[in-house]
Amino acid sequence: MAGVDVGGGGKGKRSLDSEINMIPFIDLLMVTIAFLLITAVWSHMARVNADAQVPGPPRPDQEQEKVEPEKVLHLEMRQPDKFTIVWKQGAQVVTSIDVPRKDDLKETNGAKKIRFPDLAAKIQEEWNSSGSHRAAGDKKLDQAVLHTDNDTQYVYIIGVIDAIYQTHRKLDVGGKSEEVPAFNVTFAVN
Amino acid sequence: MPVHQPGRRLMHFVPLEFVHKKVTGHGGRATNAGLSLTSMIDFLIVVVVFLLMTFSASGETPPAKGIHLPEAENTLDMIDAPMVAINGSQILVDGAAAGNTHAIEDAKRLQRIEELFNTLKGKRELWTQLHPGKPFPGVVVLQVDQDVPAIVVKSTFQTAAFAGFPNVSFMVGNIPKSK
Repeated sequence: MAGVDVGGGGKGKRSLDSEINMIPFIDLLMVTIAFLLITAVWSHMARVNADAQVPGPPRPDQEQEKVEPEKVLHLEMRQPDKFTIVWKQGAQVVTSIDVPRKDDLKETNGAKKIRFPDLAAKIQEEWNSSGSHRAAGDKKLDQAVLHTDNDTQYVYIIGVIDAIYQTHRKLDVGGKSEEVPAFNVTFAVN
Repeated sequence: MPVHQPGRRLMHFVPLEFVHKKVTGHGGRATNAGLSLTSMIDFLIVVVVFLLMTFSASGETPPAKGIHLPEAENTLDMIDAPMVAINGSQILVDGAAAGNTHAIEDAKRLQRIEELFNTLKGKRELWTQLHPGKPFPGVVVLQVDQDVPAIVVKSTFQTAAFAGFPNVSFMVGNIPKSK
């Protein structure tokens, strides 16, 4: 019968060699493989993040320090033919750019997918020129606010959020540099 | 009578000659093939290691019945959090009914979904009791059907935030990046 030499052994002493029975060994490997294959997860679900924890209005009972409001990217997707990217600082509009909208909805096995590559490229360009938190050591992320009308289908919202998250930046975490999304997305309530 | 090693007996007495040759291995290519045990065990161990590395003990939460999730490229890994499922008509929290979407669609305005709010608030309070002294993560995962209108998504998002879950994630199908 086949065996495995596990080494060792000395003169006059009891041998450290022992033989492993190959048949139960192979059986064990086979059973482990079968178990892992049966319990394996082949379909991969993922998530896109949206944060509702955004700075709110100041409390009237506390004295506030005069802090310059940060620039926030507002993305308007109410029009069927264009997106509007607006950088706002507080209530003041800094810049406003229109991006042509081409809805190319694809459906595979019931799952819909829509990409907005032109929008993603424009957001990247805008962040490169106007983003407030571009340094790798800066822990804060730029804020993006999504404006939709009430009838927009969810698949389009995900398409736009996906386009926003395509812009990545470097972030230093514990001495290592990681690629993270440049924006934190939230919804406008209006 | 001397004792000697027994020879092969199985399939030795097949009357048809061509069948006999075939089964005993004479006159043709042998049906058995040698296999290197070392290589086979190496292969099996590599397969076991690969499967163990890709093994997920928590498994994966499949989308609720009647929900088609959209797909996205720039995604994050799933996390363990309360699951709010929204199909064409119902809102479910971890499988239990917590509201109806028709009322929101008919009202055509952003609103707090009371049933969902109470369910999520109950979950938050339960978590706080079970983990005293720990900060509440406030994470909730939304499984939303791809055709649900934005008013329902925004109302659910706002309700979750009001109930103490400001960190909302949308569950999607993961697709590889196109570039």
